[in-house]
Amino acid sequence: MYRGRAAVDSLDLEIAEGDIYGFLGPNGAGKTTTIRMLLGLIKPTSGSIRMFGRDLKKDKLKVLRQIGSLVEYPSYYGHLSATENLEAIRRILDVPKSRIDEVLAIVGLTKEARRPVRGFSLGMKQRLGIAAALLGSPRMLILDEPTNGLDPSGIQEIRELIKDMPRRYGMTVLVSSHLLGEVEQMASTVGIIREGRMVFQDTIGNLRRQAGGGLRLAVSAPQDALELAREAGMEGTMQEGRLLFAGMSDRDAARLVRLLVERGHDVYRVEEERKSLEDIFLSMVEEDAS
Amino acid sequence: MMLVRALWADLLKIRGKGIWFLIFLGPLGLIAMQSLNYGFRYDYMMRRYATDPWGGLAENVMMFVPIAIYLGMTLVCSLIAGVEHQTSAWKQLLALPISRKAVYGAKLLLAAALLAVSCLLLSAATAVLGLLLGFGTAPPFGMLLRMSFAPYAGALPVLALALWLSVTMRNQSLPVTIGVAAALISPFAPQLGEWFPLSWPLFSFAGALQAAMIAAGIGLGAAIGLLGLAHFHRKDVDEG
Repeated sequence: MYRGRAAVDSLDLEIAEGDIYGFLGPNGAGKTTTIRMLLGLIKPTSGSIRMFGRDLKKDKLKVLRQIGSLVEYPSYYGHLSATENLEAIRRILDVPKSRIDEVLAIVGLTKEARRPVRGFSLGMKQRLGIAAALLGSPRMLILDEPTNGLDPSGIQEIRELIKDMPRRYGMTVLVSSHLLGEVEQMASTVGIIREGRMVFQDTIGNLRRQAGGGLRLAVSAPQDALELAREAGMEGTMQEGRLLFAGMSDRDAARLVRLLVERGHDVYRVEEERKSLEDIFLSMVEEDAS
Repeated sequence: MMLVRALWADLLKIRGKGIWFLIFLGPLGLIAMQSLNYGFRYDYMMRRYATDPWGGLAENVMMFVPIAIYLGMTLVCSLIAGVEHQTSAWKQLLALPISRKAVYGAKLLLAAALLAVSCLLLSAATAVLGLLLGFGTAPPFGMLLRMSFAPYAGALPVLALALWLSVTMRNQSLPVTIGVAAALISPFAPQLGEWFPLSWPLFSFAGALQAAMIAAGIGLGAAIGLLGLAHFHRKDVDEG
């Protein structure tokens, strides 16, 4: 519970091994709450969390051993150098010392390794955070808003880095964002939550398919035509004298047009109604939102 | 094993934070004060404690041990916790595969160990001062160790409380205020009697109930330590 309402309610994230999963939702939808619960930082008020087929409460350390994480704004020890920051984590993870140089190379901080992190730019701190997440060679990376507050080139760097993870290191990535455009270019699957509930979870391809396929018609008697379509099982809406049908298959489109012509309607225009992904995303997360 | 790893990591994190400086400053400061005390009125002091010069020196050093140890505990705990608070490192640390008990236990142990180093230094420095003052007999090491470690045991409840508050609160002003208040009250605490915990450091070294006071300090310190541990174990980390 969070301020009186459940921040997150029965979520099931289906993340395939080796996939990049975009976890989307507007600010306050419960992304960070979910991620903090996955990492055992906060406890669910009721119910349980299962990951990799294990109960998080019972096998917390075994689960966390397989996860590398970066939660919101970067965590670091400013008075220590990048190497020392990683060493502090390495001592807990108990991985070989050579791993530090490896992860520094992956995130491109080898040259800055000896400088105190205090003087790093936000982008460098974020890259150090990713290096820390990689240190234990986890099976899964959980990155919460990793590009928040970065400039465009910083965003690009982090994005490239994340894209490489499954391909080069076989890791599965969960990356959250409040912007679809942010993860669109790297994620293959997206889960969209609103007010703590999953409203969409599928491949980005299927999300794109939803974006297209709408039909807009201009006809002589729109009100009658709308009625006719409804009788034929096609629910449409009227907008500025035009008929709108969402998600029409080619077959349905042909059937509708034929029906209209057969019943004596003049069909002036038949147009494809294409929404941007961002529109779809917004309509999903804004629907009867207070 | 996890506790050792956490402790090892913490040792690295406190580098360059001024903690080690404090650990040395405390005992050396107390000894500097006594060297002035003895330096300015050497003949008087030597005459006053002619029968037991070492005991006299220990008594004079001991007067300032409770206040110094309380201040030290407060600052060291606040600095140790501050390392994690400052740049919101808790969420990173606690998402690692390590138990919260190990994380908290390591910090408690680290604070206790650092203060113990101070105590050891104080005993050693007192021995050196006595030799420099020409006491003429071998230092009574047992008594000198008791001079710093008995009050230390009596002060452990404040150490456990200081760490708990410092870890729990992001803003360190309350933990530090409480610790400084404890330090400032401690010289007057013995007037309130043995039941008052802030009097325990003094009564652990002087008075009739020394062993009981030491035991009470360790007992209450352990109890507060366990309470803090249990609280930290259940705590949600939703900021920082």
